[in-house]
Amino acid sequence: MNAIEIKQLQRIFKTHTGVIKRTAREVRAVEDVSLEIQEGELFGLLGPNGAGKTTTVKMLATLLIPSAGSASVKGFDVVKQADEVRRRIGFIFGGERGLYWRLTGIDNLRYFASLYGIDPDVSKKRIPYLLEMVGLKGRGDEFVGGYSRGMKQRLHVARTLLHDPDVLFLDEPTIGLDPVGARDFRQVILDLQSEKKSILLTTHYMFEADALCDRIAVIDHGRIIALDTPGGLKQHVADLSVVEVETFGASEAIIGGLRALPFVDALSVEETEKHQLLLVQTKRGAEAVPDILAALDGQRLGRVIVREPTLEDAYIRLVGGAV
Amino acid sequence: MRIFTNNLRLFWDGTLLSYRALFHWLRPAQYVASKVFMPLAQMFFFVFLGTFATSAANAGFYIIGNAIQITAVSGIFGVTMSVGGERETGTLPYLFGTPANRLVTFFGRAFMHVLDGMLGVVIAFGWGVILLGLDLSHTNLAALGLTIAVTTLSTCGLGLLMGCLSLITVNVMFVNNFVYFLLLIFSGANVPLADLPNWMQVVSYALPLTRGIAAARSLVAGAPLADVAPLLWAELGVGLVYGLIGYFLFSWFEFEAKRRGTLEVF
Repeated sequence: MNAIEIKQLQRIFKTHTGVIKRTAREVRAVEDVSLEIQEGELFGLLGPNGAGKTTTVKMLATLLIPSAGSASVKGFDVVKQADEVRRRIGFIFGGERGLYWRLTGIDNLRYFASLYGIDPDVSKKRIPYLLEMVGLKGRGDEFVGGYSRGMKQRLHVARTLLHDPDVLFLDEPTIGLDPVGARDFRQVILDLQSEKKSILLTTHYMFEADALCDRIAVIDHGRIIALDTPGGLKQHVADLSVVEVETFGASEAIIGGLRALPFVDALSVEETEKHQLLLVQTKRGAEAVPDILAALDGQRLGRVIVREPTLEDAYIRLVGGAV
Repeated sequence: MRIFTNNLRLFWDGTLLSYRALFHWLRPAQYVASKVFMPLAQMFFFVFLGTFATSAANAGFYIIGNAIQITAVSGIFGVTMSVGGERETGTLPYLFGTPANRLVTFFGRAFMHVLDGMLGVVIAFGWGVILLGLDLSHTNLAALGLTIAVTTLSTCGLGLLMGCLSLITVNVMFVNNFVYFLLLIFSGANVPLADLPNWMQVVSYALPLTRGIAAARSLVAGAPLADVAPLLWAELGVGLVYGLIGYFLFSWFEFEAKRRGTLEVF
């Protein structure tokens, strides 16, 4: 049996604007998603903002009712058998909210243990075990309001594991964490996978998905546009090279002109305070560099390198460079 | 049996921990101000206004009416915030993501506010006796205590109903303020019900507090418990009806919030 089965899932939000003359608008957050996630699999769901990742997770976590289609977790329908699903899942949404800051870490866990109907004898042993597992041993008596963001996120993990769920939904769990906190958190995810938990992970960090996931689905505009192993997805760009060009203050027009060149397959821009990093995907490899530099003539340039494509490059190609 | 003990534990943990979790802003100084001085201010305002407009002999009418009405602070505002506070803390999705019994979770939210509301009324009666000369020498105090408990319970029933609104609306406080001031008039705390227009009297008897205030006035005047028992039963019934409507709305609004995707709007 698959841990998760999704068939033609759809979610439409209806919004209204105006007071006197009301205008209704439909937002199709999830258009048509079908996939299966196996027992013990760590499955990644990638996509740009607004692609439908979180909406999909919320429907699986019984927090949103699908507009059409169906989904089941461990064989239970997420709408008709929501309580059975809730007993078998745990979920985390990125960010600091969702905990009671005025309570201690232990009291937060004690409260959620009672919400899940966990026997006090069991929770008395499980709470210290989980706090140790997520690296909060000795900090459980402190108010959550005094925790760092990483500590709060780890407490979320402990909370979600209280009832020992078989299936976990982790929605951008490392967002906002410092590099060390994110690395520790990824280790926690790997530990959970070694316990044979089925995990659905959404993330914006490609290296994270590459390092952790057994399979990855790329979702865009509410549809799955690719589904494969990380290695399989990279094959989408096996014929390409990536030219990285550091620029300082290149205008939209200049970048648009570069994007329009016939040998450019995709182009994305990473902006920082001081510079821009142009990532140009091309089949011509190093031979494209003179033409790229010609297109940037008159611009102040930094380093220029040519490298092999990564999962991120595959992702950029799949979603049309809209990063 | 296991389900029963689980739910009992959920009730207590939910009651105590959610109260501590959601009312963290209520520091000791704020609590004392809201519990001790706010009732005094309300009583002073209405007692002196009422006696100025009518007669000093009517002071008891206003003291008792407002002392009982004070329970609406906990019953309406407190209970509403015990539901709506989950939206503020972002815990609503995590709460609704559990299989916890919604009936127990829902009514557990009101329990601390019942105790809190009763304490507020006792303090208000204390002010009435100490500063405003309320005479309780003919009063069956146990019966008055029962009246305070019943009236607080029934007011919390209305509070639970109001709390449900916070599942579908972002700011329910303006509705709470409206209801609180409505109760000042419609409950008979400050205007004899007989002096209200007929349609207002109909509304009065559909609200909690009205019969509780009438029972308290009778008890302070020396009536035995048996005389006010029908009022108290009816008061309890009104509160129960509001509480049950609140519970069904809670379940319905939970469904609606999931259907409309408004669980996390804040």
